[in-house]
Amino acid sequence: MAKAERIDQRLMQEGRRTRGALYFGIGLGLAAGLLIILQAFILAHIINGVSFQGLSLAAVMPLLWALLGLFVLRAALSWAGELVAFRASARIKTYLREQLLNHLLKLGPVAIAGERSADIASTMIEGVEALEPYFSRYLPQMALVSLIPLAILMVVFPEDWISGLILLITGPLIPFFMVLVGYAAEAVNQRQWRKMLLMSAHFLDVVQGLTTLKIFGRAKDEIEIVARISDDYRRSTMAGLRVAFLTSAVLEFFASLSIALVAVSLGARLLQVHASVTFFTAFFVLLLAPEYFNPLRGLSTHYHARMSAIAAAKRIFEILDMPLPEKPRQAVEYSPSTEISLVVRNLHFSYEAGRSALEGVNAEFPAGKVTALVGASGAGKSTLASALLGFVQASEGEILVNGQMPLNAIEPELWWKQLAWVPQNPRLFHGSLGDNIRIGRPDADLAALREAAQNAHALEFIENLPDGFETMIGDLGQGLSGGQIQRIALARAFLKNPPLFILDEATANLDMENESLVLDAMQKLIAGRTAIVIAHRLATAERADHIIVMDAGRVAESGSHQELLAAGGVYARMVAAYRGEIHV
Amino acid sequence: MSDYIRLLKLFFPYKFWMLGGAFLALLTILSNFGLLALSGWFLASAALAGLGGYATLNLYNFFLPAAGVRAFATTRVISRWLERVITHEATFRLLAQLRSWFYSRLEPLAPAGLQGYRSGDILSRLVADIDTLNNFYLRVFTPFLVAGMATVLMSGFFAFFSWHLAIALFLFLSVSGLALPFVAERLGARSGAEMTDLQSDYRVQIVDGMQGMGELLTYGAGPEILRRSHTLNDAILQRQAKMAQISGLGTAGMSFMGNLAIWVILILAIPLIHGGHLGPSDLPMFALGVMGSFEAIVALPLAFQFLGQTRQAARRIFAVADSALPFPDASGPAPKVQQPDLLLKNLHLRYPGGQQDALAGLDLHIVAGSKVAILGATGAGKSSIANLLLRFYDYQSGSAQFGGHELKNFPADDLREYFAVVSQRSYLFHTTIRDNLLVAKGDAEEEELWEALAAAQLDDFVRSQPDGLDTIVGEGGVKLSGGQGRRVAIARAILKNAPWLVLDEPTEGLDPLTEMEFLRDLQPLMQGRTVLYITHRLLGLEQMDRVFIMDEGRVVESGTFAELLKQGGQLSHFATFRNGASA
Repeated sequence: MAKAERIDQRLMQEGRRTRGALYFGIGLGLAAGLLIILQAFILAHIINGVSFQGLSLAAVMPLLWALLGLFVLRAALSWAGELVAFRASARIKTYLREQLLNHLLKLGPVAIAGERSADIASTMIEGVEALEPYFSRYLPQMALVSLIPLAILMVVFPEDWISGLILLITGPLIPFFMVLVGYAAEAVNQRQWRKMLLMSAHFLDVVQGLTTLKIFGRAKDEIEIVARISDDYRRSTMAGLRVAFLTSAVLEFFASLSIALVAVSLGARLLQVHASVTFFTAFFVLLLAPEYFNPLRGLSTHYHARMSAIAAAKRIFEILDMPLPEKPRQAVEYSPSTEISLVVRNLHFSYEAGRSALEGVNAEFPAGKVTALVGASGAGKSTLASALLGFVQASEGEILVNGQMPLNAIEPELWWKQLAWVPQNPRLFHGSLGDNIRIGRPDADLAALREAAQNAHALEFIENLPDGFETMIGDLGQGLSGGQIQRIALARAFLKNPPLFILDEATANLDMENESLVLDAMQKLIAGRTAIVIAHRLATAERADHIIVMDAGRVAESGSHQELLAAGGVYARMVAAYRGEIHV
Repeated sequence: MSDYIRLLKLFFPYKFWMLGGAFLALLTILSNFGLLALSGWFLASAALAGLGGYATLNLYNFFLPAAGVRAFATTRVISRWLERVITHEATFRLLAQLRSWFYSRLEPLAPAGLQGYRSGDILSRLVADIDTLNNFYLRVFTPFLVAGMATVLMSGFFAFFSWHLAIALFLFLSVSGLALPFVAERLGARSGAEMTDLQSDYRVQIVDGMQGMGELLTYGAGPEILRRSHTLNDAILQRQAKMAQISGLGTAGMSFMGNLAIWVILILAIPLIHGGHLGPSDLPMFALGVMGSFEAIVALPLAFQFLGQTRQAARRIFAVADSALPFPDASGPAPKVQQPDLLLKNLHLRYPGGQQDALAGLDLHIVAGSKVAILGATGAGKSSIANLLLRFYDYQSGSAQFGGHELKNFPADDLREYFAVVSQRSYLFHTTIRDNLLVAKGDAEEEELWEALAAAQLDDFVRSQPDGLDTIVGEGGVKLSGGQGRRVAIARAILKNAPWLVLDEPTEGLDPLTEMEFLRDLQPLMQGRTVLYITHRLLGLEQMDRVFIMDEGRVVESGTFAELLKQGGQLSHFATFRNGASA
């Protein structure tokens, strides 16, 4: 419970950002509440006048017009309140979305690799959205829940202290019992909703695996499992909900019973020859009694909004609280150079305690040469590339640029301008094919675009599309083949044309024609440049100037293809395996 | 409308739950109406009796109305709680019913009839549609039914006193309950639709940004992502502001209508009372009664929103459920198979909607117990052979005999018992390793599972996991590496223990070293079985008794691997890639 309250506090802190709108909204709500009292007063006068003083319609008509005016005013206040509440939450939503995205970009691709992108997207969209009712309804209602009943009590007590006492006693009991029942229900609810999600996910899972189930002749049985899981889920959820619904039952109990109590007690006192209360007073109080409980009723509705807001906020704060990597050194002036060489000295890195990925890597990447990184998966190739890209900060050791400048002293944005990075599964972004290639140079003209595409063997297939470079990703129907995506990614790198290339070769089995085009484009791209290639194909390693073989976070051996073959080490064994000389 | 009728027919078995919940909801609303109206009348009549002196006082029955007030209050408390319990219980039962029904319609369609729905997106939308339909009862059916009945009953009560009042109340409730939310929903519909589009754009941008962050950052596009996010956020907020205006008008309008109803009823009733047609104590009853009556239509604005959503969802769901079966399944007992040979003669298979035959006059003979590889480029028709054997797709002409019987004569489920399949598409369910294995053999003992895992070389890994066999594999098996996932598929094939083993590009997507190990570990599984190894790679072909090379739906060359190498035909073309230039 303490946890939910901590999140509450933090959310309220965020709420300060929009304090003005929040207070204004509360003011509007309070004004509307006070008008209700006035409205009840006038209504009681009208009815008392007609029923007990024999007044005609004409006689009460001025009061009726006043009443109509109040109705219009109240509607206007309610509408304005809605708009103000929206504005209050809009500011916070914008602020949080910007904070989240900024933070994620600073964290970098490696730090968020474990977080599922779909999950981050829904945190940023639905998660932030779920905060709206918290700020636009729950918080204002929290203020009104004490103010309006208090105002009503102040009016009722002078009129009839017995009714005032009934309201005074039953009112606070509601939040008390709601807290008592509600908090227990909250925990139950949250557990159940998670289970509900799983249930829906389970059904999707079964539907997606239908073909596999059919192969095993189990597809028809699964219908029973679907039914059984639904049933289990229903039973346990209902057990929780029955308790949770008690919250509203408690509210209803006190609200309905105290109205009944007020009515019966007033009725009993009216039923005397010299009654201690007048009908006017009795009716006025009776009109106010439901209004006394209305804010509380609203609170119970918005309580659910609070619950989902807290769940969403938890996830939002989790992301915002992910620590940014420390910048160990002051950024220094770095002037871009046209030739880059890299030296790696005793580099250590671990993703988490006890799971070390690099254990003292020493390597050199000379300028103008192609270096291939080779090794089994998990050997540390990708981690080393991430360190060279500045996505992760080594815990020990250093990377030197051009022999003297430590990499972590260079502003990342400056460093990234010096290189092009082509990952194993390049991603095409929402937009046109042209935009995708231009991503590193938005101002490139069509001639430059065509040249880059031509170099990457992508021009032909792009120009064969009806819309050419203007073809939108996502309108492609079947989509592009793996090889075509690779070639677009290479075209990007061609267009950027920086002094350093870091490439992670595709492992996917491209079909033969594609494979040869991709390999050819890649060779053309890196020949004679400083390039670091994580090689998954023997042909790529063979053509590199230099090969670094990694094993278990260290450099196992390095040298040219021929040297390493002659040495008969890890590399020679791998080559034999690729060639199928070890019989399967 | 017909979609709703169909939906209600589906829900028919649960009619008592549904109507029970609705009845309790009605009771809750009526008891509130009763509580307020009776209280108003009671106060006025008691006051009148008090003013009338002892004579009237002694005639006045205090206990009946007082007890009535308390009874209404108690009824409301109990029926409110029961209503929520019952309607939610009903909702869950209906959801289970919907899922079972939908699954039973979907199952015979897969995979041929679901070709258009293959992508995860569309499937998950269908599943979400089911969840949306589930709102139909709680958010659409019950509110409309209850609002309608309560309106009639409450207006009917007013009719005892005056037709004018009854008609006024009826009109006010109808207009506020139906017209107002309808107009608000229409006004908001466009912004709502635009917002859905914008939000899905936003999602694409963020997913792009997260999955492609490395590229975006290194290409200097970080500020661009921030800018785009800002623009989309603004656009979304703009639509939301519009919707807040509309919904604000709706809310304010609803409460204004409620107040206006009181006002009009007063105008109508005051002359009646002043003229002595109605008693003085009726006036407070009318005023409070109208106040209570508007609770009946409070849920309707939301119901209108869900009405549109559920209509769309129902349409999509029924469209899938009504798809015609791709081809009829054979009925009756399966033909007896002595020797599971396969003989294809001049076979033609074309996929529904396809432009050309995937198998175009294929001749193929696979003798039981032999190991055969089918080699070919993407689109040569290799995988169509697997689809043919598993009766996922029907063939149009030619003959396909399995064990001497035409494939068309086998009920599909019986035919599939002869085949175990390992492919890149082998699906891992988001559950434990144990459950994933039990898919292949529901009654397998724990020991059998471990044996299968050992044969698939996965036992060490599973043992090293803290939860062992109960390790959750994650969505689509994400918590396992590619090779491990494929090994689970092997273990399943072992458990199934079928006479034929179909390896449909089993190493697709694995890196070369993992691929080597994987193929090596498949060897024991091949012993004593008929093996059909479908591949576009040259790896592992030496072990095969015969290699068929396919192109454009036909076999173009065949022989042992060594023979084909010597001939230097198509095969040599496959050999130049992947291996070094010097191979």
